[in-house]
Amino acid sequence: MKFPSPSSAEAVIAVSGLSRRFGTRAALDDVSVFVPRGSVLGLVGENGAGKTTLIKHLLGSLKAQAGSVRVFGLDPVGDPVGVLGRLGYLSERRDLPGWMRVNEFMRYTQAFYPAWDESYAAQLLEQFQLDPTQKIKTLSQGQQAKIGLLTSLAYRPELLILDEPSSGLDPVVRRDILEAIIRMVAEEGRTVVFSSHLLDEVERVADHLVMLQRGRVILNGKTEEVRRGHILAVLAFAEPRSGAPILAGAHAVAGYGSEWRVLFGGSRLDLEAAAAGIGARVVEERTPTLDEIMVARAGGKGS
Amino acid sequence: MTAIAWMWRTTLGAMLWEIWGRHSGKFGLQAAALAAGLFCVHCKQHGASEVLGAVLLLVSWCCFITAYLQLLMCCAYVELDAGKAKVGYPGRLLLKPVSTARLVLTPMVFGGVITSPILLVWSEFVLKPLGPFPPFDSVWALMMLLSFFWWMQAVTWSLPLLQTRSLILIVVAVVHLLVAILPVMPIHPSPAMQWAMAAAMLVSAVPVAWMGLSLMRQGSWEGTVLVFKPWSENRLAGLWIRRKRFGSAFGAQFWLEWRRLGLALPSIAVASILAILLIGAVVKRLAGAAPPPEALLSIMVLVPLAIGGAMGQGMANFDLANASLTLPVFISVRPMTNGGFIMAKLAMALATSVLTWLLMAVGAVCFLALLSKGSLPSNPNLAAAGGPMAWVVGFGLVFIFLVLVTWKNLVGGMAAGLTGRRWILTAVSLTKLALLLCVFSLVFWAKVDDSFRSRLLPWLTPILAACLTAKVAVSIAGFTLGLRRNTTTVAAIAWMVGGWLACGLFVSGYAALACIALHHPELWLWLVLGAFLQFPLADLAVSPLALAWNRHR
Amino acid sequence: MQLRISMQDGTPIYQQIVEQIKYLMAAGRLKPGDDVPPIRVLAEQLRINPNTVARAYLELEREGIFNMRQGSGTTVAQGKPVLPRREKLRLLAEPVEVLLTHARHLDVSLEDVITLVRERDAALQPEVLK
Repeated sequence: MKFPSPSSAEAVIAVSGLSRRFGTRAALDDVSVFVPRGSVLGLVGENGAGKTTLIKHLLGSLKAQAGSVRVFGLDPVGDPVGVLGRLGYLSERRDLPGWMRVNEFMRYTQAFYPAWDESYAAQLLEQFQLDPTQKIKTLSQGQQAKIGLLTSLAYRPELLILDEPSSGLDPVVRRDILEAIIRMVAEEGRTVVFSSHLLDEVERVADHLVMLQRGRVILNGKTEEVRRGHILAVLAFAEPRSGAPILAGAHAVAGYGSEWRVLFGGSRLDLEAAAAGIGARVVEERTPTLDEIMVARAGGKGS
Repeated sequence: MTAIAWMWRTTLGAMLWEIWGRHSGKFGLQAAALAAGLFCVHCKQHGASEVLGAVLLLVSWCCFITAYLQLLMCCAYVELDAGKAKVGYPGRLLLKPVSTARLVLTPMVFGGVITSPILLVWSEFVLKPLGPFPPFDSVWALMMLLSFFWWMQAVTWSLPLLQTRSLILIVVAVVHLLVAILPVMPIHPSPAMQWAMAAAMLVSAVPVAWMGLSLMRQGSWEGTVLVFKPWSENRLAGLWIRRKRFGSAFGAQFWLEWRRLGLALPSIAVASILAILLIGAVVKRLAGAAPPPEALLSIMVLVPLAIGGAMGQGMANFDLANASLTLPVFISVRPMTNGGFIMAKLAMALATSVLTWLLMAVGAVCFLALLSKGSLPSNPNLAAAGGPMAWVVGFGLVFIFLVLVTWKNLVGGMAAGLTGRRWILTAVSLTKLALLLCVFSLVFWAKVDDSFRSRLLPWLTPILAACLTAKVAVSIAGFTLGLRRNTTTVAAIAWMVGGWLACGLFVSGYAALACIALHHPELWLWLVLGAFLQFPLADLAVSPLALAWNRHR
Repeated sequence: MQLRISMQDGTPIYQQIVEQIKYLMAAGRLKPGDDVPPIRVLAEQLRINPNTVARAYLELEREGIFNMRQGSGTTVAQGKPVLPRREKLRLLAEPVEVLLTHARHLDVSLEDVITLVRERDAALQPEVLK
């Protein structure tokens, strides 16, 4: 099994300079994201940061007010059939036709995608343990997420877009969904974009990370590099301080007295230099988790 | 504690405050409607011509009906539970430590107290002074309106499921209408009996509401099979579930549209047939002779046409459970052109019209066979038309004509709703209403005033031709824009244009026959122009663009 | 092959896999010639990105620990990994540096560190000999 190297991949998604306002509120502000083929992009950010807005632009549900959006090199608004026929989508609120039964919904969706694989769909149905004759409105949240995912995976789309796939689901269902996604990622050339609050999942599965805050991209890079680009350190001062120390490059500072915990963005050398600059020394350090990085950066200075 | 502060703390006060907060704008509309009605009365009383009088009458009735429906909506104490797609009593109140009787009586009494004076004012000061119709008591009208209001509350609170409830509400409305017009019917029971019936209907709404709400509160409705077995979704679904795959995306979308609305019009048709047969049988039993077949047949024909027009709004929707006009996600993400979605709707509308009129034909035959026992075929006018062959052909032509007109009613106004913006829908509806009023007043004026008529007639052809040209121009613009923006396909355009031409030509031929038969050949050109104007082309051309505007915001 | 991935750990996931496999080999739970689960299966089992697993496997192949063959899957390589001594020492230099940094922070003397190393080596040895 070959995994494509970054150099040979074309961008499946190319968003450049995208801005969007709703009334006076800027939902997206000059957002640029490039997703190469075969990668898994994790979209993170607090509620209202603009993740769903960005995803809607990829689907063509929103028109770009400024900047451009290209999926498979096509404009999702100009060519909805060309784009939507090659991607699968699971929305946060599922938005399924409650009156349809599971098998009816599968049959309905199948008619739109020539690449639908019936045996794969049947296999997923069994795996997810869904009753085909049950009405969708009587399904639990987890089962609805599963049927939504099933009808997005069954035709093996080139691009899978998931908006909070695990929201509101119990750990067992989350596990099933994650496994299904990984199985799809393992197939050649498939790209996945998913937004999630569960940073644990994002860290495990995503190659690339884009973090949005109030419509702006504040982090964009490989998952590993993002983690390694931050240090969670404890600074010790000679004397107790009354207020939080101000350290250039620090995203969050907390503590008391003479020891202060700081989340620093940069290399170890930068940290030591900055610490020395304010008269502190580094007594402890480790690589922070994505969770800690996100909370620190989203919360602004000080937490 | 001051009196006002004390009042806000009671249940009644809280309800008042909530209704005021939610619907304060709409009460302004109420006041405006009432003012309009009073103004019409004032004009009429200070000497208005016959034409203007008719227009004012129409306008005030429109205002009254709007005002009444508004009152129903505001005071009904009904809430939408979007999560479970149910409309009923506000769910959060069912959990409060209050007895069910209190939950039922407070909104009903309170609603009655608010609506009664408003309706009395309407009845006394606007409707009565205006016209000869209807010639009955204010109190009678009030009781009927209030009874319908309470029954509507009772039904909406008790039955969470959408389809059954709509059917039952229609039945309730029809019953109320029939009872309301009893006093003016040639055959009616004694006044004491009438008042007793009205009072019984009014009062019986309360225990029904109480029972329904208690069952709702206990969760007895959750997961139960519907009360009306024949309408059970399970059965109908069983009839229509396709075992095989759909041949194409269009087939799947057609299936979705059909399952959504396809059986609505046919079921109403069947219900009306049964109702009319029942009424006919009852009248025959009571009065000895069957009611005139022409009258009842005309009612039978009018019902699907009228309901089709009313359902036209529903055509723009994609998901019944969600009443808002925005596209549900599972539709907007489908790889189908906007034109494709429109074509599926058009096909479904045609299929439903055909089915409806087939059922109506069967019903008409039953009606003739059972009730009039040959009184229609012996009608001298029809016998003169000549032979059974002419009968069949005539019947067939009428059938096709009715199908086309119903289809036109269903799809004629889709574009406004498809845009997904409610203000556009309201604006377009109001414009259409205004246009209708203008046309009606012109027609009435022409009918009454001969000099005006002779001045108007030469202008009629140019006006119609100009409208037609404008329609074709808009359609061409719509189609080219649609093709350029990739929202329609050439095939869809071909179907729409072809359909329009076919409908127009068919009605032209039909009109030619009618003109010859009725000896008015000069009407033919107007009828042809009118036909081409009536059948939707511009609307269909704009629909994919409207849908695109909704899909890509 | 039971591996455990921890998100709290500072080390990248692929490195955790590499280290744990090395530990399993050192502890004798993974012997030369054993079959190793394919990348896709391990990714599903651990619920991580297959690219990460692939990277770990490639690293292990580069170090001569794994033998990845098209068609017949991946096995643990026979014999000792064939690496020049210089390369081996270079690979060891980083963990040693980490160890020494920790020791310095905790103010542990070099002699104590060496004693600790000998103790841990002795604890590990009997398993390998079995």
